[in-house]
Amino acid sequence: MAKEMAMLHDVARCSACRACMVACKQWHNLPADFSTPFEGQYQSHADLTSKTYNLIKMNERTDKDGKFHWDFIKIQCMHCQDPACMKGCPEGAISRLDSGAVVIDEEKCVGCGYCTTNCPFNVPRVDPDRNKSTKCDLCFDRIENGMIPSCAKTCTAQAIDFGTIEEMTALANKRIEEVKKDFPNANLYGIGPATEGVGGTHMMYVLPEKPSVYGLPENPKTPASIDLWKDVVRPIGKIAGVGAAAGIAGLFVLSKMMGKKNH
Amino acid sequence: MLVDKKFVPRHKAGFVLCHWLNGISFLMLFITALPLYDPNYFGFLYNALGTSTLQNAHKFFAVIFIVTPIIGLFIARDGYSMLIGQVLKFNKDDMTFLVKFPGELLGQDPKMPKQGFYNGGEKMNIALQMALWCVLVCSGLVLWLGSGIIDNSVRAWMIPVHSIAAGIGFAAALGHIYLAVGVNPDSLQGMKNGTIKADYAMHHHGAWVDELVAEGKVTKKELEEAVH
Ligand code: HEM
Ligand code: SF4
Ligand code: SF4
Ligand code: SF4
Repeated sequence: MAKEMAMLHDVARCSACRACMVACKQWHNLPADFSTPFEGQYQSHADLTSKTYNLIKMNERTDKDGKFHWDFIKIQCMHCQDPACMKGCPEGAISRLDSGAVVIDEEKCVGCGYCTTNCPFNVPRVDPDRNKSTKCDLCFDRIENGMIPSCAKTCTAQAIDFGTIEEMTALANKRIEEVKKDFPNANLYGIGPATEGVGGTHMMYVLPEKPSVYGLPENPKTPASIDLWKDVVRPIGKIAGVGAAAGIAGLFVLSKMMGKKNH
Repeated sequence: MLVDKKFVPRHKAGFVLCHWLNGISFLMLFITALPLYDPNYFGFLYNALGTSTLQNAHKFFAVIFIVTPIIGLFIARDGYSMLIGQVLKFNKDDMTFLVKFPGELLGQDPKMPKQGFYNGGEKMNIALQMALWCVLVCSGLVLWLGSGIIDNSVRAWMIPVHSIAAGIGFAAALGHIYLAVGVNPDSLQGMKNGTIKADYAMHHHGAWVDELVAEGKVTKKELEEAVH
């Protein structure tokens, strides 16, 4: 299937049941993850890990009128159209498929962690045991076989939807109108200006509140430092390396010849 | 007093040790990161030794690289104060030296002003390596330990910054090694047993030898006997 796909998380509908977290683990054969000790908190894990590609974040918030809120959001790779992780990978181990899924080829990955450093959403995690980078792959293997991603399939609240990018954009636009009735600050994330800096994303959200309330960057950008590193630093480094070796060899010969002449 | 009637004492053992700790950790840091610089040419290092081995080694030598000057505060305080003091005292003779140096490098024997403990070129190299130390350590630590603490919009810049600093530092190190081993092999002895030949000292660090004589640390007579 060569169609460009997208996933939509309607945060207003999410009940934080975490079925999607379980479904993700099942499809990817990921073990239980005890990296976060249980200290009475509601959120299961402090952050994404190399065993947890998908996390429901829960945050307690009291607004300026003293009203209490629970903010839930599903976080995972955003599947950027202009993925910083892919651009900055020294091994060319990351690619963006026609479906829009950004996937890591573990054969090529050397575990340097540059994808984590470059990612505006701080998503990839290098598995310390295998020294390979890991993250949500949009279940690209399921998509290619005409199925929908595991997390979307399992969501009973219809908080996660999956389809072509056109379908999801239309759905998001419809949903936001409904949500806006209750939440005047509601906005779309992944579509339109908010994520332009990364070329838009194949993971989209209907957010009742500002992105920062959910820990999402307001202005994610594929960093220009990658271009500097790729197009300037490395090519010059290569030329300079060869140049320095040749220069020293040349100087050595020259000094021997000139030295002889003077004596 | 000259050592063995021939050699001027120059560096203390603690400083010599710090020099080699710094030099070896620097080179090892460069080598262990080469496959990231260019996977096509240096990828074989990852294949031969394993990716984690090299990345862990990079961090191991980074620790040595960072603690060396700190150890130096205890075991080589004189040597490090000399480094800093000399860099701050960059003067007109150092400039003249720099202008005439290419001629000397090409095997001529230009009239050089008398040089101090470090010459103009050495002072430049010291200043450069001190600045690069700061840049490499800061950018390296942010890459290593900054995830989740410092925003990635800042951390991402540390990759080219670290690379550029490593590249410049390596180029300077090549020059430094070439001058020490290829051009002035006599200077190398200072970094082996801490002394240099009296005639080398007088020729290349005349102002410093004059100071030693003025302070009574060596005598004119000793020097004359050593040279003949
Ligand atoms: C003179 C000393 C150093 C040199 C020559 C050096 C060199 C390099 C180079 C060339 C890279 C690859 C960058 C690229 O391809 O863009 C790199 C990566 C890295 N450096 Fe350094 N570095 C030095 C010191 C340090 C220090 C002091 C630290 C930490 C405190 C550090 C931590 C790192 C880390 C974490 C990486 C990421 C990849 C890896 O784990 O290998 N480096 N370094
Ligand atoms: S969110 Fe990060 S890991 Fe995912 S595609 Fe974008 S840059 Fe890559
Ligand atoms: S950790 Fe792997 S995928 Fe990430 S940048 Fe390094 S080589 Fe590429
Ligand atoms: S798309 Fe697949 S890999 Fe990504 S969060 Fe959902 S189940 Fe996990």
